[in-house]
Parts: sequence; C-alpha cells; structure tokens
Amino acid sequence: MPPHKPYAFVTYRCEESALKAYTHLNGQKLQCGESSVMLYLAYVSSVTHEEEASVPLPEGLVLLEDFVSPEEEALLLAAVDWSSTNDDVTAQKALKHRRVKHYGFEFRYDNNNVDKDKPLPAGIPAECLPVLERCLRNGHINVMPDQLTVNQYESGQGIPPHVDTHSPFEDTILSLSLGAKTVMEFRHPDGRVVAVVLPGRSLLVMKGESRYVWTHGITPRKFDMVPACEQQSPDHVTPEPGTRSNLTLSKRGTRTSFTFRKIRLEPCRCGESEGASSTPSPSTPPPPALPCCHADAARLEEEYVHRVYDAIASHFSSTRHSPWPRVCHFLSSLPPGSVLADVGCGNGKYLGVNPEMIAVGCDRSSALVQICAERGFHAFVSDALNVPLRTASCDACISIAVIHHFSTEERRLAAVRELVRLLKPGGHALIYVWAFEQEYNKQRSKYLKDHNKEHHGKENLTKNTSEDRREPHGKSAMQNSGHLEEGYEPVDKKQDVGKVTDGKLSVHTNRTAFNTQDLLVPCPSGTTQTSSSHLKSESESHLTPVFHRYYHVFHQGELEQLCSQVDGVKVQSSYHDQGNWCVILEKD
Amino acid sequence: MKLLTHNMLTSHVKGVTKGYPLLIKATEVKVNEVEFNPQFVSRMIPKLEWGALVHAAEELGHRQDLPGELVQDFEKNEDFLKKVHRVLLEVEVIEGCLQCPESGREFPISKGIPNMLLNEDEV
Repeated sequence: MPPHKPYAFVTYRCEESALKAYTHLNGQKLQCGESSVMLYLAYVSSVTHEEEASVPLPEGLVLLEDFVSPEEEALLLAAVDWSSTNDDVTAQKALKHRRVKHYGFEFRYDNNNVDKDKPLPAGIPAECLPVLERCLRNGHINVMPDQLTVNQYESGQGIPPHVDTHSPFEDTILSLSLGAKTVMEFRHPDGRVVAVVLPGRSLLVMKGESRYVWTHGITPRKFDMVPACEQQSPDHVTPEPGTRSNLTLSKRGTRTSFTFRKIRLEPCRCGESEGASSTPSPSTPPPPALPCCHADAARLEEEYVHRVYDAIASHFSSTRHSPWPRVCHFLSSLPPGSVLADVGCGNGKYLGVNPEMIAVGCDRSSALVQICAERGFHAFVSDALNVPLRTASCDACISIAVIHHFSTEERRLAAVRELVRLLKPGGHALIYVWAFEQEYNKQRSKYLKDHNKEHHGKENLTKNTSEDRREPHGKSAMQNSGHLEEGYEPVDKKQDVGKVTDGKLSVHTNRTAFNTQDLLVPCPSGTTQTSSSHLKSESESHLTPVFHRYYHVFHQGELEQLCSQVDGVKVQSSYHDQGNWCVILEKD
Repeated sequence: MKLLTHNMLTSHVKGVTKGYPLLIKATEVKVNEVEFNPQFVSRMIPKLEWGALVHAAEELGHRQDLPGELVQDFEKNEDFLKKVHRVLLEVEVIEGCLQCPESGREFPISKGIPNMLLNEDEV
C-alpha cells in the first residue's frame, strides 16, 4: 500500500461477502458530484490501527461549538448584502475567489492596515450585537469589536496561511463559522501543523501565540478529512473493537466566516520582531525578520537555505531530473570546447547537457556536490558570492534558481557581479530566478497548474515528483503587487485578510500565487523522515519535519534592474519561463 | 577531484594575488577508466594552463612522460592526446587538500570533492 494516501477499510462478516464485494466493486466508476471516482479494492490481512495522539490546540486558541443557534445563524447570513460590495463581483467570480466584505473599517490590502480616520458608512450590522454581547459576557473579549470582515468560501476555495497583521488591531480576534464546517490549519514556524475542525455555528477565539505566532489558513479543496466521532449517518454500524475507524471524508459546503476585531487606537507597543505575544515561549523562535546586514543575511541563509538543502539533498535531487528546455537550448548553443561554470549547480542537472563543453559546477551544499561527483561531473563546494575560479576564465556561466536565495539586494547584486567576473569578454551568463508573477500571458506556470494532481493539503507528505522547485497546491487568485503589465490578469487586491508585517517573512502556501516577495517556502523532508504508518492522518503531519526555504521572488524587471547595476555587461535578452524571470547577459 | 577541475581552481582568500595554481597534497589518489574522446581532449587543451597541469601531475606522481611544453599539431597526435586524457580525466584525488601558494590556507578534499568554502574572516 503506497504510503501517505488515505484509505478506507471495510470489514465483512464472512469471506464470501468480501469476495462478492470485491468482484462487484473493484474497478467501478462512481459519480461524485461533477467528477467521477474509480474504486479500487485490495485485500488486507489486518488493519493497522494507531491510537491517535491527541494534539493540543495552539496556545491561546479556544473553539466554542454551538455558539449560535440555527436561527441566529440564518439571521446573520441574511444580514450580509453582497450586492452592495464595492468589489468587482464579476472579476471575483471569474477568478473563483472567495467573497469578502468589510464593515466598520476597511482593511486595506495594499498597505496591510486600516484607515482609522475613515470608518466605513456601514458599521457592524445590528444582527451581530447579541452574539458580541455574549462574547463580552463570557469574558472572551473585554471590549466591543468595531471591525468585521465577512469571508464567504465556496467548496474549493480557501485562504493562504497568514498571521493577522498585529499593529492595527487589538489582541483578540473572534471568528464565527456559519453555513458549513471547514478545517483550518495552524502552522508554527518550527514546523508543527495542527488541523482544527471548525464546525458550523462555532466560534473561534484567537489570542496569544495562536494569534501572533502560528499562521492560520484554509486549504482550498472540496473535501476534508475529519475525525469520524460524530455519527450522524443512519447506516452507521457500531465498529467492532480493534477495527475502529477514526477518520472520514467531509464534503465542503459554502462557509461564511464573520471575523470580528477591535481597531487599536494607539500604536502598538511591542516594537520588536518578537510580536506582541504576552507569553513568549523560549523554545519557539519567532518568524525571522528580513536581514539588514551581511552577518544576519548569512545566518538567515544558513538556516533557511543551506541547512535545508543539505538535509533534503537526496530527495531534492530525485525530484530534479528534467533540465529545463530553454536552459538546455542556451547550453547547446555554446561552441564546442566552451568552458562553462554552473554556479549553484545543485545535483548537476545541467552539467551533462552539452557533452561538448567543459563544464564545472559548484554548490554551497556538499550533499548536492556529492551527488554531482557520483554522476561523474566536475564539481566543488563553494559559495556563489566567492567562486574560486579565475577572473575571465569562462566562456559561459549559468545561475539557475540560485540568486533568489540571497536575502538582501546587496548580496543578490554581489552574486551577479561574481558571475560577470568569471566571464571572458564576449561571454554569456544565463540567470534564472523565481518570479513573483507566476502567471504570464494568461499561462499559469506549472507551479500553479499542478495542484489537481496532488493530494490537497498533503504538501508536506506528498511523494509525487515535481520537476520544478515547487511543491503542490491550490487555485487562489493571482496577487500582483499592483502594476498591470501586458499579459497579466486583472489585479485582485483582496487576497488576504492579513499579512505578516514589520519586515517579518511570511510562510508561503505551496502552489499558490505569492503575496510577498520575501518568503519561507515549506518543503517536504522527503526521505529524511520514515513514516511509521501509512494511515498518517492530517493532524499527525506535524510529526514530519517541514523545512522552510528562504526565497526572494523577483518582480518583472527587477532582475534586469539588478544586472544593469553591474559594469561591463549588458542584458542581451530577458524573458519569462515557467514561473521564472530570466536574463542572458553579455560581457563587453 | 580531477586535474581538469584543479586546473580551473584558484585560491580566493582575501588579499591573495598569486593564488594560482593551488598546491596539491594528496593522501589518496585513484585512476579511473574514462572513455577517450580525442576531439574533446583536443578542444580542451587550448583552454588549459599547461604548466599548471604538468606541475599538478608531477605532484601526484602521475606525470609519466607528459612534456613540459605543448606539442605542436597536438590535434592529430593521438598518442599525446591519450596522455592528456589520462592525466586530465582519469587521475583523481580522493583525499587530501589544496593549498593556497601564497597564504598557505588549506582547502580539504574529501570523497573526491574539494571544499573551497572560506570562513567569514577570509572573505
């Protein structure tokens, strides 16, 4: 049985029944809404059953079920007048994006803040008051909220993991789930993931670490795996001891969340990158801030680039086996006998593409260079900022998916300068970096396209090999920094309710559009963690260490702008290739 | 580390001006069999620092009868090309180190891979 996949087990009273079931059901196609599903059956001699360790909720998080009655729920849902939103509804529908409406104050996505001096004409609807008074009475909040954001999620929609901006709002955030249940995932910077089922009519209270340190998000998908403890099905049969099933699939419905916040009137007093957590935990490091000097940058890169590649080297190498065609084209067009330096060569993917050239590679990861050596390539370990090759010794250089790992502009510039230094006059350098804009000329990059092939939400556990340096996920609308260029989808700014501010790095949800330039991208640990059971549920995914890699994704034009600051070289061509910005430089 | 790689490597310790070629101190050397491609070898030769190659081969005790100066019309001299091929692509340093001729700084070679990373203060 392949690991990391969900399975359902059925027990029959006798062998004959089991055989009958197998014969009739195996290979049958089932209609499941608009899609069809193929049933595959296999016999097993026993069902491995694991005691599900109870996972504590993130600190500061409280879930109150049945907080509103069905009548109150209907009233609240009816109170939202979607037709009067000032969003472009057609654009939203076209982009299949969740609907958002604000009351009290508008949350601005362009600066991640609230305009305190410009309250919206509509304050919080009166229908919400009884619920809020209940919260006050029960001590969940101390002061009446004055800002409300309503999000409506259809099945298949979600919101990327984020921390609600802390500076414009007071501490506690209340979120009421109406219409349907969902699963919200909380992620800690140290890699722990906790999936929390939010039943319909429940209230989620977020304070403390759950509010400031853990990110929360909803994976865009149509089904969630939830504990099967609430038995509402009439066909439910009491499970026999030893065969207790503990998970089931829950189909998503349309869920509307009411998130209540209080606008902070005074500037927050935390003033530091720790975040205003009232009880900072010494064992949990806060999300890192962007570095302001070389030493900090080097430390950040050590933690979030080098250490990670060394740990995931073999898994990483196994998923990077297909050279990108346009890079191969560049390499193949070099005259025979050309000397090529591949700075940041990884597993040596490009070193053997053109056997007529004299190729040497270097990488910061000894584990990856080891793989190059095993494959018979010439490679050594070094830093891209200081390559131990003589000046003007190479006919060509390539830097594929490397420079985006440098955490300051200065270092990125230094990396380009180093490449140029190595070039002989007339030589060419090819640089590829990850693009902020993952969609170009209405073509979604492979990174965004492949989500359907993957298990939703199992980004940490998937064993699918993807060729790019990208792992799975959803289809949120594309977020652009704001400048509309030819070939781009219209900008939709209402992507997120909150982002990490104060120069902190945000944790990205794989296979979605980027919402900031500097990110930590989770990547699977792959073979470094042996999974103990193929019945690993989503809430147990915190057992698999998740590494985060630092990336600075480039805006269109940013790479050229960077290269233009280097003397003695000019940008010969620039293009977009599968989610990357690329340039070819020619040395004078 | 093969001698082709060595021929390209230089010491990049801060302040060093004569960092090429690096001295080789080998404790384990292997000779592999690599497919001979005369055309490829012939194209490589003009890109090499011939003196550094001969010296390195000598350091490893594998110079054999490699000439100190480049032979004329080597392109057609298969015998010569074979010698170059051997020294450049078949001789491999598995364990040892590379030493900067100016500063004396040593860069380890382990499992055939030179580690050229510098410390923060050497950059």
